[in-house]
Amino acid sequence: MNFRRLLGYNLLTAFVLGIVGFYVGWWLGHQFSGPSIAYFADTGQNDIALFLAYLVGLIGFLSGLGFASYPIQRLLGKPPSLREKETAGTGRYFTLCTDHKVVGMQYLIGIGAFIFVGGLNAMLIRFELLSPTKQTFNANNYLTIVGLHGTMMMGMMTSGILGPFANYFLPIMIGARRMAFPRIEALTFWLLMVAGVILMTTVGYGGFPTGWTGYAPLNDQANMGMDSYIVFFALVGLSMSLLGLNMIATVVTMRAPGMAWGRLPIFVWSVIATSVLMLLAAPVLISTLLMVALDRTAQTGFFNAQAGGSPYLYQNLFWIFGHPEVYILALPGMGILLEILPVFARKPLWGYRLAVTGMLGISLLSWLVWQHHLFVSGINADLRPFYMLSTELISLPTGFIFICALGTLWQGRIRFTVPMLFALAWLFNFLIGGLSGVFLSDVPSDVTTHGSFFSMAHFHYTIMGGLLFSFFAAIYFWVPKMTGYAINERFGKIHFWTMFIAFNSTFGPLLVIGFLGMPRRAVTYAGYLHGGNTWVSISAFFLGGSMLVFVGNFVWSQVFARVPVGANPWASKSIEWQLPSPVPVHNFDRIPTFGADPYPYGDGDGAGDSTAPRVVTAPARPRP
Amino acid sequence: MTELADHSTDYGVVAAEPPEVMARNLRIGAHLWASASAFFFAAFLFAYFYLRALDSTAVWRPKHVDPSLTLGTLAAVSLVAAAVLLRFAVADHRADRLNAWRFKGAIVLALLLAGVVLQIVEWSTQSFGPTDGPYASVYLGWTGLLSLFVVGLLYWVETTLATSFRYRNTRRGAPVPAGHASGDGDRSDPDIENPLSLIRSELEAVSFYATFLSGIGIVTWFVLYVL
Ligand code: HEM
Ligand SMILES: [Cu+2]
Repeated sequence: MNFRRLLGYNLLTAFVLGIVGFYVGWWLGHQFSGPSIAYFADTGQNDIALFLAYLVGLIGFLSGLGFASYPIQRLLGKPPSLREKETAGTGRYFTLCTDHKVVGMQYLIGIGAFIFVGGLNAMLIRFELLSPTKQTFNANNYLTIVGLHGTMMMGMMTSGILGPFANYFLPIMIGARRMAFPRIEALTFWLLMVAGVILMTTVGYGGFPTGWTGYAPLNDQANMGMDSYIVFFALVGLSMSLLGLNMIATVVTMRAPGMAWGRLPIFVWSVIATSVLMLLAAPVLISTLLMVALDRTAQTGFFNAQAGGSPYLYQNLFWIFGHPEVYILALPGMGILLEILPVFARKPLWGYRLAVTGMLGISLLSWLVWQHHLFVSGINADLRPFYMLSTELISLPTGFIFICALGTLWQGRIRFTVPMLFALAWLFNFLIGGLSGVFLSDVPSDVTTHGSFFSMAHFHYTIMGGLLFSFFAAIYFWVPKMTGYAINERFGKIHFWTMFIAFNSTFGPLLVIGFLGMPRRAVTYAGYLHGGNTWVSISAFFLGGSMLVFVGNFVWSQVFARVPVGANPWASKSIEWQLPSPVPVHNFDRIPTFGADPYPYGDGDGAGDSTAPRVVTAPARPRP
Repeated sequence: MTELADHSTDYGVVAAEPPEVMARNLRIGAHLWASASAFFFAAFLFAYFYLRALDSTAVWRPKHVDPSLTLGTLAAVSLVAAAVLLRFAVADHRADRLNAWRFKGAIVLALLLAGVVLQIVEWSTQSFGPTDGPYASVYLGWTGLLSLFVVGLLYWVETTLATSFRYRNTRRGAPVPAGHASGDGDRSDPDIENPLSLIRSELEAVSFYATFLSGIGIVTWFVLYVL
């Protein structure tokens, strides 16, 4: 072991500097507050100290990874450069590395770990709800667990598909060797990791009572654990915005010859639609959270009614971000679905233009619906019909996606591989999610279902049934390309069926229980709901168990069994499958030229179809 | 291996990307970042009008909450002047008047700094604090964050100027050492061909963003001081 290597820019250095930074910030914060500045009164709860601790800790951590060196060099006038740590061995996974494939792998493991933590919290929730009265957690702790679960899931799953899969495959799909801004790409990942740790430290500061939405006035009254939520979500927002910026810039500027807009794989279009929302919605979130932070530290009155502010302002601002956010969670799943269906139905994607229109339409409309979250908050009743109609209008472009999916499947020669099963499950789950959503967008029925487990079950059908299922579809589909090793198919099928059945048996009944009056975010509930809740909890434990099947299978296949896959195990025509597995550091020997759309599947299509047009061609090798 | 790539290919095939690629990245990146910034400040605009229209407890803006118009105007003017001057600096660079551009660039830095300082002076001399009603809240939050963005802009202008200055005696197109600004010890070749030629593109990008931010500055000034 070469100990000197431990001293450079790496995760270890980052942790040390991060912790040092944390305490430096904490100390600094205590210098500020106190009688010297009247309105920074120290009430025994020093929010400024905690904010500064997180901030300086973040700077320390990032510097330890090597993020500070380039900006400082630029300040001194060194010219721009692109790449850092791209060729070295395993060490590059634990530091700032600008290889988009490394970042993709980092995202997959990093985000996966935090989603697992979020899942453990879900198990705790369901454990508590086994009894209609309080059993293990008191109301405060229960709220914190719900908040931790929801916030962690929303924050991490936001980049759940773009992080690992778009970072890895989008440049390849458009024939590029890198993303437009490689350092920013790496930054988005490490920001998320710091954010995740920060959110978990909330437990040490008393947790937070607001759930993932952070509503006023609670967000102002809550104890210091609220600050963890604020910093977490602000960092997630920054990461999202930069991720979106990088994706759009890459598609606009980095396409290889022949890669016209009309030839972009549909997954790339879904990434564009998502990225526009990320780029523009996340800044609103950041602003809003900064206002909350000012309310908590400098005693401004943005959301404080006594001081002339308004809690409704918070609700508006939060959902101006929040509704685009839910489509940020939905759109990538649609992209995965439509990307996978042609491969396993052996047919071209049906209605490419319709699908693109649908995605961009969703992206646009999602800005115009936010007040459907405020129907029962006491908004002006005259505003309701507009938001109800605009919301229901979104089912139109969403319908386009379903039509394209069904059109692609129609008369296809379908192979029920594991990724295909997950993709098909998306169709089933998202349909239920969409139909239940209509009840929530409809003002008369929302009045009774708002704030109940019905709405909770609805969004689990869309997020978990939609996004998480497509996340797994993407894992089974693409990870063999990323690592070069197969994922065991038999255990994959066991994972799929247990997850699909347990998922529906958990959240299907919750739609009913919600309709019967089970409220969200409450640790106790009426006795007549006990039977249903017991059923749901047991199903949820099976659902958790199916995740263990996945984790076991994944680790076993990728670390121990290591069965190599060839370049193209699914007989796909898309360009990433024309490269070796795993993809070499330089992606392409020479930048390829694109000659057709990416889905030229035809009749009698086995592995290679000689009559189909060539998707990509490699330029001739130069003579030595 | 496949037709398109081979594991045994030397990493060197990646080297020396033409600078035009990064130039395009910068242009589009600046535009996208501007649109994100616009949404960032739009939240404050929304808050301003929302709270002003609501004024639930009739404390929107007590009489003594009256930031100095002079200082505010001066701060806005310095931001706008910096943006305008930067445009002229770009023209100088295009016309190969490099010394003129560097001179203007230095003044731009001074103007941006002056804007931030004026803002700080304003905060420390005003007769109200953050607890004095919703207007004061919006005013402090908005001007504070705008100043932060101006500091960011200052940094960006500085890097461009610093590179131009550091290499003032280097012949155009002459090579600079590999991995000069990156921590990548693995590289033996530069990853951008002739990176010094990127100064112009960076200057154009930062000038675009400066113009955008001065627009935000004007809106800020109009909403917070004039309305
Ligand atoms: C094992 C799977 C899961 C189970 C059993 C589960 C269970 C639950 C339950 C029971 C609640 C409501 C608690 C309450 O209001 O009292 C909840 C809330 C929530 N869940 Fe999940 N969940 C799971 C997975 C997910 C996933 C994958 C996501 C998103 C990617 C997610 C996002 C949320 C959100 C955003 C909330 C709202 C939190 C709040 O009210 O602020 N959940 N979950
Ligand atoms: Cu919504």
